[in-house]
Amino acid sequence: MSALLAIASREVASAFRTPVGWVVIALFSLLGGIVFVAGLTPGEPASMRTFFSLSEWLLLPIAPAISMRLIADERRVGTLETLVTAPVSDWQVAVGKYLGALVFLALMLAPSLIYTGVLEWLSDPDLGPILAGYLGLLLVGMLYLAVGLLASTLTESQVVAFLGTLFFFLIVWLGGSQLAPRVPDAVAEVLYALSVFGRLGDFAKGIIDTEHIVFFVVTSCWFVALSAVALEIRRWA
Amino acid sequence: MISLVDLSKSFGRFEAVRGVSAEIARGEVVGLLGPNGAGKTTTIRMITGTLPPTRGAVRVDGLDSLDGSIEVRRRLGYLPEGSPLHAEMRVEQYLAFRAGLFAVSRKERRAAIARSMDRCELADVARTRCGNLSKGYRQRVGLAAALLHDPDVLILDEPTSGLDPAQVVALRSLIGDLSDTRTTLLVSHILPEVERTCDRIMVFARGRVRADGAPKSLIERHARAGRLHLEAETSPDALRETLGRALPKASAMCEAVGDGWTRATLDAEGPISDAQRASIARTLRDAGVLARELSVERPGLERVYLDLVEGEAS
Repeated sequence: MSALLAIASREVASAFRTPVGWVVIALFSLLGGIVFVAGLTPGEPASMRTFFSLSEWLLLPIAPAISMRLIADERRVGTLETLVTAPVSDWQVAVGKYLGALVFLALMLAPSLIYTGVLEWLSDPDLGPILAGYLGLLLVGMLYLAVGLLASTLTESQVVAFLGTLFFFLIVWLGGSQLAPRVPDAVAEVLYALSVFGRLGDFAKGIIDTEHIVFFVVTSCWFVALSAVALEIRRWA
Repeated sequence: MISLVDLSKSFGRFEAVRGVSAEIARGEVVGLLGPNGAGKTTTIRMITGTLPPTRGAVRVDGLDSLDGSIEVRRRLGYLPEGSPLHAEMRVEQYLAFRAGLFAVSRKERRAAIARSMDRCELADVARTRCGNLSKGYRQRVGLAAALLHDPDVLILDEPTSGLDPAQVVALRSLIGDLSDTRTTLLVSHILPEVERTCDRIMVFARGRVRADGAPKSLIERHARAGRLHLEAETSPDALRETLGRALPKASAMCEAVGDGWTRATLDAEGPISDAQRASIARTLRDAGVLARELSVERPGLERVYLDLVEGEAS
């Protein structure tokens, strides 16, 4: 447990010790701010629905930027050798790295809470959809980071890890939006079931669907597990 | 403390390590020598559990490096070649992180870091980012990290790389102090370094251990040639003839050095013993030749190493 926490906390702290962490937070805050303001319409009920709906797209390039360095950079600079010769299992390495990235994601989302304060100040928003929206955003981020972790485990290049994650989700999106309507119903159902996008819309409306939660949690766990297995395979290869 | 049992490792069709067996006792300082690709680092990686052997086994303190991998790693302190560090972390932050990895309790952590920094003389750079350290300091931080949890086995891959002569002497002395209670494996290309620091040397070539023993015994066992220097008051031809009688199989190179004196260098097929030296002295005396120098050049580890490695290559 101590090793897992050491790995996770180093990951969080390191993100703030390098410009990349601050740039990512600044970028998300700027884009999130624009989306939030654009979503406010005079006379309409105050909500953050537009912010949450578009944030799954904002996170698409940002989450891989967080995850790309997790393992790939350690391998490139050689510190992975010092990590895997310490008494830690590959599972602890994968989970510790993932938790660190997840905490950073949560910290990156934290400044957007100010938008809730603004809405509270200006009107009387329904807090249910807002809380559900944040839960959805965290769940989507979890999946993005889990896939990013796997990509980072499979390569030494951060650029390849970044692009690999990005293209994976673009392919998933194309599969659900372009391919599914053109294939037999049985295949289309599978493609829709695997589709990541659109699920956040339900959370933004205040609908907490257990199916969505299970989907994000289970798929994220799968990708973290695959990362641990990939680390183990590379160790023994 | 460390048992290597018929240890082999193949990468595809390439056999990096071939049937290495050795017993390394607690407190021994063992140098691993060999050219690039000889199998030293692969052997080290199998000991640290980062590579599985294709055949054979590694046991550290009776624990198998695969079945008891985590427990084995808990007993090891490892400084990889080049001492890779997290550039963005300050030295004390890095050591605290490493202490966390080795589950050094929070209560003991501060003392362990202070002790390690003190041993490796890092107080001046405690707040410096690892990325801003000189190569010598990087090595010392890597060593401090390897010592944090007070390991039973210390594995150092090229530890003196990048250190200045004073730091090399300090590190040698530190290794000497540490080896009282722990086993140390030292991988190095610097032969005098290994000769001075290690109780025992294993010479690797083409994946095999070509020689294993104390530096002195290795030289005695594996030295292929002996050389004798001599200065005598006679002509080069007469001296060559006299030496030919004393050591018929040796070849002598003689040259006049003035005032009737001749300097000879005599190369024998094996090490020249004290008895042979006495025999030469007697032959010269019987021939009425006065000698003012009669010294044997002891073959060094470098010569032995080259003979072993070149012998394997040919």
